[in-house]
Amino acid sequence: MIAYNRTWLANLRLQEILKNDLSKGRISDVEFKGITEKYPVGFFTPSIFARVGLFIVTCVVVAFADGLISLMGSGAIESTGFPIFLGLLTYGVLELMVNFNKHYRSGVDDALLFICMCQFLAAFFMMFSGFNGNANYTPFAGLAFVLSFALALRFADMLTGAACCISFFAFVYFYWTMAIPSGMATVPFALMLASAGAYWFTYSYRASFINYENCLIVGQIICLVTLYAAGNYYIIQSLSDELHGQTNSSIPFGAFFWVWTIGIPFVYVGFGIKKKDAILLRVGLLLIIAAALTFRNYYHILPLDVTLTVVGAILLGIAYSVMRYLKTPKHGFTYAEPGEENIMDNLKVESLLVAESFSTPASAPTDNGTKFGGGDFGGGGSSDSF
Amino acid sequence: MNELYKTLHAEGLLSDESFEKVTAEHELPLFHVHWEIKTILYLGVLVLTGGLGLLIYENIDTIGHQFVLMLIAAISIGCFVYCFRIKLPFSAEKVKSPNTAFDYVLLLACTSFVIFIGYLQFEYKVFGLNYGLATLIPMLVLFFVAYWFDHLGILNMAIANMAIWMGVSVTPKQLLLNSDFDSETIIYTYLLLGILLIAAAYATQHFKFKKHFKFSYQHYGVHVTFIALLAGYFHYYDSMLCAVWMLILFLFAFLIYQDAFKNKSFYFLLLVILYSYIAVSGLVVRALIRGLESGGISLLLMYFIGSGIGLIFLLINLNKKLKTA
Repeated sequence: MIAYNRTWLANLRLQEILKNDLSKGRISDVEFKGITEKYPVGFFTPSIFARVGLFIVTCVVVAFADGLISLMGSGAIESTGFPIFLGLLTYGVLELMVNFNKHYRSGVDDALLFICMCQFLAAFFMMFSGFNGNANYTPFAGLAFVLSFALALRFADMLTGAACCISFFAFVYFYWTMAIPSGMATVPFALMLASAGAYWFTYSYRASFINYENCLIVGQIICLVTLYAAGNYYIIQSLSDELHGQTNSSIPFGAFFWVWTIGIPFVYVGFGIKKKDAILLRVGLLLIIAAALTFRNYYHILPLDVTLTVVGAILLGIAYSVMRYLKTPKHGFTYAEPGEENIMDNLKVESLLVAESFSTPASAPTDNGTKFGGGDFGGGGSSDSF
Repeated sequence: MNELYKTLHAEGLLSDESFEKVTAEHELPLFHVHWEIKTILYLGVLVLTGGLGLLIYENIDTIGHQFVLMLIAAISIGCFVYCFRIKLPFSAEKVKSPNTAFDYVLLLACTSFVIFIGYLQFEYKVFGLNYGLATLIPMLVLFFVAYWFDHLGILNMAIANMAIWMGVSVTPKQLLLNSDFDSETIIYTYLLLGILLIAAAYATQHFKFKKHFKFSYQHYGVHVTFIALLAGYFHYYDSMLCAVWMLILFLFAFLIYQDAFKNKSFYFLLLVILYSYIAVSGLVVRALIRGLESGGISLLLMYFIGSGIGLIFLLINLNKKLKTA
């Protein structure tokens, strides 16, 4: 089961909660220190930038080490066993780092886990994609599911959790379309059932598998998106086109899928507000965009410019009125900043985003040569044709 | 959750007063919708401006350029007036924005101002062929606004504009996709820009004037300078001059390294290490490829493995050092 020391994981969760209390001034420094001494965490978990750096460097090391190995055993490269061999090596190193050096989300273990998974997936893909033509994705998706499930169980990593969910739905899709005679026509309903069931599982057992909190959160997001996508009109239409080999074929239960496409995001948002569940709420908000795009793809009621203007005005209006409404917290909702330390603030991401998205269109004509010389500047955001 | 606090309280690790505070907090947990609303706001501004721009673009024949210019100017002036009215007094320290909308209104004001200048130049050639002036004015205004209203986003816009004024670009996408480092003038321009930005970063800290702006200057400065130095090294790869570029690079790395250590910024420490690693690896690859014919590749691979592992230990150690320092 899980590779990390469970007591430390529990202590880590405790410390996270108390850190929040500390920053809000609910507990004192002395108390916090006393508690962290009583409930220690022995993992090696560096700061976020160290983690990024270690991730990059570990990838470099593994890439070149694998290169060296392939150079020595150049005869074996063609076989499927080779990536599996490399994957096993990576996995061995990963276990060593986690068990002896106590790495936990340090960048090193993230990188090794990621590479290990990629190597195994490459091997499975070589086996079943069939370089000679007969692709068979059902066993590939199945094996990928088993692999990522095992890795997620062992390392409780978000990425493996996501891979686990995706490969599960892929398996359901491929298996259903292959094994059931009228599979193509019924697969949306199969996927809906599968994703709804998976969501129910990840949602209701999130408290009992507390060490896998991250995985379950990612799982919930993917389940919700799959549940929506399984009934999205555009996706159904594309599938049906592929099945009948014609474009814009009419699909049975069209009205049902339209209701699903437009309604489900609002159902998510509604439940998100009712249950105060951030995941449901945010996924719902994002899917409203998807619903709008799908609708616009079929019905052009207004020209694009008018639509954008109206939608922008409505969005601003909604934001403004919610801000107004929640000036004092109501029904347990507040507009105030969460106040937890946020990596986004640390990097000043918002200001970088502003520079990226607002500075390009606003640029004036390129400096065509007098001041700093050189005619063919690449930068400046506009071309010489000015 | 409350069980947890009860245990801590029973163990004597939480005082009665703190225990009451935390339990009171967790009895009525508030659901924060701050980020959702902010995102909707941001999207709203983006979509609305995009839609209006498109609307005007499609109907330019019936509306006429003067009207459009006036409209843009009116938006800009209106937003600026609003911001001047409600802004808090200027100070050399960080000034909080009076409300959430303030930042966005100011952003709208600046964007429409820059569009106004660009429009004026494009349609009426107000600055003639004097393109330097056409970009210099927005840059100066943006810098002024950034300092006067204390807005980090505008500062970033100003820095990007400064690069445009010098004829280059600093935003990551442009820098990676459109830049052509094979010309001496561009390399020197980037180098100059980088050094200017680093100097600005140093000055903000030294004179204690808007110290929180340092990150933005240094962020762009460090990237641009390192890239320019590396580009310079590879540009003069075959002549003796490349040694000079390398030397400057290591000197620069050393300076930034010390500064990062002093300010406990692992981000800049990481940048220094990664860029220096690229430089060192460039030298090693050069030596090994020239020196050895057949065994060179294995040696090279071993170098990367060995140096990479070394780097891992270095990063781990630095992380420890920064934490305790």
